Order: sequence, then C-alpha cells, then structure tokens
Amino acid sequence: MGFFESLFGGRRDQSAQVAKQRLATVLVDDRYKLTPEMKEQMKADIAAVLARYLPTVDPDQIEVAILRGEDADMLKADIPLRRGEG
Amino acid sequence: MGRVITITSGKGGVGKTTTTANLGTALAMQGSKVAVIDADIGLRNLDVVMGLENRIVYDLVDVIEGRARLRQALIKDKRLPELCLLPAAQTRDKDAVSPEQMIDLTDQLRAEFDYVLVDSPAGIEGGFRNAISGADQVIIVTTPEVSAVRDADRIVGLVEAAEKGPPSLIVNRIKTRLVNRGEMLSVEDVLELLAINLIGIVPDDETIVTATNRGEAAVYDQNSLAGRAFLNIGRRLAGEEVPFLGLQDNQGVLDRLLGMFGRRRT
Repeated sequence: MGFFESLFGGRRDQSAQVAKQRLATVLVDDRYKLTPEMKEQMKADIAAVLARYLPTVDPDQIEVAILRGEDADMLKADIPLRRGEG
Repeated sequence: MGRVITITSGKGGVGKTTTTANLGTALAMQGSKVAVIDADIGLRNLDVVMGLENRIVYDLVDVIEGRARLRQALIKDKRLPELCLLPAAQTRDKDAVSPEQMIDLTDQLRAEFDYVLVDSPAGIEGGFRNAISGADQVIIVTTPEVSAVRDADRIVGLVEAAEKGPPSLIVNRIKTRLVNRGEMLSVEDVLELLAINLIGIVPDDETIVTATNRGEAAVYDQNSLAGRAFLNIGRRLAGEEVPFLGLQDNQGVLDRLLGMFGRRRT
C-alpha cells in the first residue's frame, strides 16, 4: 500500500483502518460503476486473453482493484503464475 | 451581490440542519445579512432548530406559488435582526418546486443578503437537485462513518457533474477519544477518501443537543466546542484563515494532506 497506509497503518490497525480500506475500495468502485460481478467477469476475461500467451495463469488467483491516484486512477491487477508448468 | 451556499450530505441525520442554523447565526454575528432557506419541503425542521416555529405565517411554496411576497414570508431571528429564515412548506412535497423556481428565489435573496444558506434535504433526488440549483458554493456535511462518507462521495460526484465547482467539506461529530484509539475514521482519513477541501471540523458535543432542545444556536454558548467550530467555519467562509480546532498538535500532517488532496480531483 501507499504512503498514507505506511504513515497511519502502524498507529491504527483497528476498526478505523478497516473502515478506511473498505471505503477506499467501495468509493472507487462506485465511481467507476464497477460491480462485484463485473470484477469477476473482468478477471475471467483477463485470464482468457492471457491464456493465449501464458497457459500458467490461474483465473481464481487474479485480483483486480482500482487505486485512487493524485493525477490518474490506476487499475491494478495481480496475476500470479503457476510455477513449473511453463 | 450575496453568495448562495447550499449545505447538503446525501445521508440523513449527519447534521445539515444544525450546521445551517449555526453557520447562519455565526455569519450574522459577524455582521453579515443572512437568509437561511429550509429546502426540505414536507419535512420542515430548520424552524424548530432555530426556535422560530411559532412565527411562521407563509412558507417557501407560498412564495413560489404567489400567495405571499418574499418579504412577507421571511421570519426575523429572535436575537439577530440581520438573520432571516424562509421556512419549508410542511404540507407539500418536493415536487411543488422546480430548479428554475429555486434559482429565481435565490437570485431574489442574493440581491438583498450577503449570504443565502440553503438547507438541503437528504438524498440525491429532486429535493437535493432543487437545493443545489441556485448555489454558488456547496458544503457537504459528513460524519466519520462508512455510510455517511460513502454517501458524501456520491454527492461530490453529483455536485461536480452539476458544475457547481469543488465542494467544501465539514466533518461533523468527531469523537477525538475514539479517533485516538483507532476506532473512528479521523479527519485525515475522511479527507484522503473524499479528496475535497476541508472547511470545518466539528467535535461531537452534547451542547448541540441542549441548544437544539431550546431552539438556540450553539454558537451563542461560549462553552460549546461545536459552537466554536461553527464560528470558525463562518470566519473561513468570509475568507479568513483560521486554524482547525484541536488539531494544532497535528498541524503538519494535516497541512500536508490538505496540500495533496485539497484540490479538485479529476
């Protein structure tokens, strides 16, 4: 996570921190009108495209999130690859 | 020409009406001519919060439908002759008024008052749209709770889409002890999430309950922390630089946050 998490995270790992993280996700998803269902579909589609190049992508392991940035927001996708099957 | 400022929130019960009453009083105490409008048609409340419920003869809908002149419907405050209330109709609903009529009404008031404060209904429908239609500036009130912050973010988007300029934020009912224990969102957290300008921090304060019971603004009470916070917001609205209450020890962090996030977002 970013600068603010490192700034405040150590001091507040309690319910306020949980609230903040949940809100950070839901606000940006609201703003982009991104439903949980659409996120699941996006993960499946990403996996389907990548499978043409990387057969070791596991669709169930993909995580996508939109992160609020100062100048632009970022779509972040974590796409783990299974080792030793390439 | 006066400024029209709408106080809104999305979620109900976060303190819009209390904020409107106290800011109106604070601005009038500074010597400005102030009109406060209750735009919550059908759920009239600003009158009881200000202790003026027994003086109502005409209301906003009477003015719009031509049964009363604006001057007849405006109720003078008990203490401050330069503070007036235009009450909401109690027996009608939000559809009794159109955005164009609200713009016309606020334009008439703008000509005679330094500040016109519009107390918006909760929600994002017609009543809210009417309330912001004539606004030069929008103030969003939130509390440090997930539901209120989420709704506030929705309002930020709608205010920007309506081209009302960047809204300002009041974080209401902060409980410092809970924040210090990490069990309540801090002002910094809320600012980081909403990314709009901060104009006020109001502590959770029992004097608001007692003042409202009596129909008196908390800004009259020297011992009310919330009252002092509202007085400070009034001074900031008038363009003064006033440090934020209770955050002096944390000023460096807050200033940095304001610098990073206190601007219009993309």
